[in-house]
Amino acid sequence: MNNRIVLTVFKSIIILIVQVLICNNIHLLSYASPLIIGYLLITSDMKEDRITLLLYGFFIGLIYDMFSNTAGMAAAGMTLLAMTQPSLLKYMSPRETDDDVEPTIQTMGFWNYASYVFLAMMILHTVYYFLDAFMLANIQLTIFSSVLSALLATVLVLGIDMLTTTSKRN
Amino acid sequence: MRNLLDFLFNFKHWFLFIFLEFICLTVLFNHDGYQKSVYFTTANEAVGSTYSLISSVTSYLNLSTENQSLEAKNEELRKQLYELQQQVYELKKDSNRHISGLAPKYNVVSAQVVGATTHKSNNLLTINKGSADGIKEEMGVVSSNGVVGIVYLTSSHYSIVIPIINTTSKISCKLRGTQNFGTLQWFKGRADVAYMTDVPRHSQVEKGEVVLTNGYSDIFPPGIPIGFVIEKGDSPDGMSYLLKVGLYTKFETIREVSVITNYNKPERKALESKADSLLNNIN
Repeated sequence: MNNRIVLTVFKSIIILIVQVLICNNIHLLSYASPLIIGYLLITSDMKEDRITLLLYGFFIGLIYDMFSNTAGMAAAGMTLLAMTQPSLLKYMSPRETDDDVEPTIQTMGFWNYASYVFLAMMILHTVYYFLDAFMLANIQLTIFSSVLSALLATVLVLGIDMLTTTSKRN
Repeated sequence: MRNLLDFLFNFKHWFLFIFLEFICLTVLFNHDGYQKSVYFTTANEAVGSTYSLISSVTSYLNLSTENQSLEAKNEELRKQLYELQQQVYELKKDSNRHISGLAPKYNVVSAQVVGATTHKSNNLLTINKGSADGIKEEMGVVSSNGVVGIVYLTSSHYSIVIPIINTTSKISCKLRGTQNFGTLQWFKGRADVAYMTDVPRHSQVEKGEVVLTNGYSDIFPPGIPIGFVIEKGDSPDGMSYLLKVGLYTKFETIREVSVITNYNKPERKALESKADSLLNNIN
């Protein structure tokens, strides 16, 4: 148990550092900036404890907001993602798999996992960019930014996953 | 009552969710306009200090850009220095002349050394600017410390420079404060030492005296520092002094250089070649 907490804290710090130092400087086509902090919720297996998951998502979002001066935007997105993640995972998992399986490419299969990550990222980025725009005046641009950022974040998450699983295998 | 409590307990995560989202939106909309609190921003002490720690590390990554801008500034200052030196030189020569309009304007092109040898007898430097940048053969190359060498070959984007530390290099020079001139040559060995030959015996030479370009050649303007006298010796034939000169330019670490692009004037060249051909005709 303690091991798991240490591992989660360590993973959170690493992802936050990567997010703040690298991903915040990515502005693809000047519209898309990926929020890979969503990765922390996507791969979390705390679904038996939804309260912890909600608080975890909220605080990770809040810490990110502090670093990027986006008060509350990422926190709102992360909280919504934390709320929906268990049902999303259940819905996207192949039927024959167990309930308490950890979401990875190996357990879910590549396409299931990729679409699960993309949907989760869409939830996060949609909240983030709509709160950012707030007014619906430029709705096409906001949707475009959300989708492009979510796609980019998905690609990054799949990259991170492949990297970590190969290093584990080695 | 118990049913109600059960209901509340079963849906506790919904209440927490609504509560957290409420906090988010409150923070967000209080944040707009006048910021009531700095706790959720980068102005917060902990976040601010983390950022300054990060920037103290990442600032090293920007050193090369910083360096380039400093070098550009240096180049500008060096250009001004040459102009002023030239003005001083002209004024000293003839105090009747007025200062304005006399000093030629030197243009310099800054370049980076991309390849260098220092331990061969015919060392060469490669710089990353070429004829496309206005560099031609026989132009003088200087660094912020002093003379580097002379452009030998140019391609469109690169040039090869014969540095002082090449046995074929000969640069006309003089000792500061005197009109005694000589030729700076290099005889293999250490990359930070060269020799000034043909210094007349009657000249007063002090150790540590600065060796400058003398402006007799059409490559370097007068007054650019080359090195300083380390040791006074005799030339092999005993007719003149042979001065050991410590070079200011550090060829092992040299990176940023400037090429003086408009000093060798075609007019002077034409006149000199005309004189040569006249002499040949007489002979």
